[in-house]
Amino acid sequence: MIAERGLASTRIADVAERAGTSPPAVLYWFGSKDDLLTDALTVDEDRFYGAMTERLAALERPRHRLRLLIEACAAEYDWALWMELWGRALRDRGAAAARQRLDDRWREQIAEVIRDGQQAGEFAAGDPDDAAAIIAAVLDGLAVQVTLGDRAIPADRMRDLTVRSAELLVGCELAPLDERALAAGPSEEPRPWAS
Amino acid sequence: MAAVAPAAEITRARILEAACDLIAADGIDEVRIARVATRAGASTALVHHYFSTREELLEQALIHSFERAGEDRFGEPPDVEQSATSGLSQAIADCLPLAGPQEREWVLWVELWLRAVRDPGLRPVAARLYERYRKWIAALIRAGAEAGEFRSDVDPEAIADLAMALLDGTGIRAMLEDPAMDVQVARALVAERLAVELGVDAAALRG
Repeated sequence: MIAERGLASTRIADVAERAGTSPPAVLYWFGSKDDLLTDALTVDEDRFYGAMTERLAALERPRHRLRLLIEACAAEYDWALWMELWGRALRDRGAAAARQRLDDRWREQIAEVIRDGQQAGEFAAGDPDDAAAIIAAVLDGLAVQVTLGDRAIPADRMRDLTVRSAELLVGCELAPLDERALAAGPSEEPRPWAS
Repeated sequence: MAAVAPAAEITRARILEAACDLIAADGIDEVRIARVATRAGASTALVHHYFSTREELLEQALIHSFERAGEDRFGEPPDVEQSATSGLSQAIADCLPLAGPQEREWVLWVELWLRAVRDPGLRPVAARLYERYRKWIAALIRAGAEAGEFRSDVDPEAIADLAMALLDGTGIRAMLEDPAMDVQVARALVAERLAVELGVDAAALRG
């Protein structure tokens, strides 16, 4: 509901109705609308992060994992909620703490893939945390324009610009994944890849 | 009418400025018409004369702020009298939330993002500003490539998009007081990445 309308236009009573409960019950569990947003976003993030962890683990080569991370952020992630959190985090301590925690976890996920790539000899040497910060910043920045529907930046340009920038950063070509790899769930066996 | 219009324009602009100040200070959701009126030295009736609803006032305030920012910042072609490298270095500093007026502008910037996500009617305002921003940076890149300061094979539009993404992506973290990304770290990081892309010395872009 927050994704549909934005937090300011979401009334506790509406949330309660959709969830099939009462407004006092919603407030009992969440305390305030800011907490509700933060918790809703955290649930959403945990789901995306958990699924991503499994999909990454199903890919053998770090270069494919990095490509998947970028593709998923450009094509699948719901940035509207994330941008709500930015707005709230400017003024609400709880939202600011949640933003920091979720953001750190996301960058760590990227850094881990880069470390794996360096250990496997696929990626060039360099500070993996710095590289992750850059890739995350490019994704965050481009996501604003994609989410605002700027015609100059459709989602596939977001993907291509980030891939190109990441390739230069890790010194390795990040070739497109086939469709099965993109849709791969946790049950799929890792398969060998042609490079 | 000619004598009346400028006064009305001035009053309208004063109300919009007051609204921008309050949006920057308190967040858009907290802004009330009565407080905007007090700050502008006007009555609530006068505010309502110009803006029929609170939503309209807030929307017009963001539009006012960004049309003006676009004019001030991106209206002039970048000054490349010294060099494109120093012009780009200055542009990086100008577009990050440095303390002072730029930080205030950034708060409004984030509010515009949020509003435009919720309200598609505002997206053309954001798109127009980004369009100017892109052209302005791309002109700098092109000038540097033509002058032989940057690699001659750069794609100015792609580098401009990358530069804007890096500035927005690191700028928002600095705004949110991320301990690993203050505004000076952001500035160094953007300069370093663009230096690699353009084939110039990072120190020269860092300024």
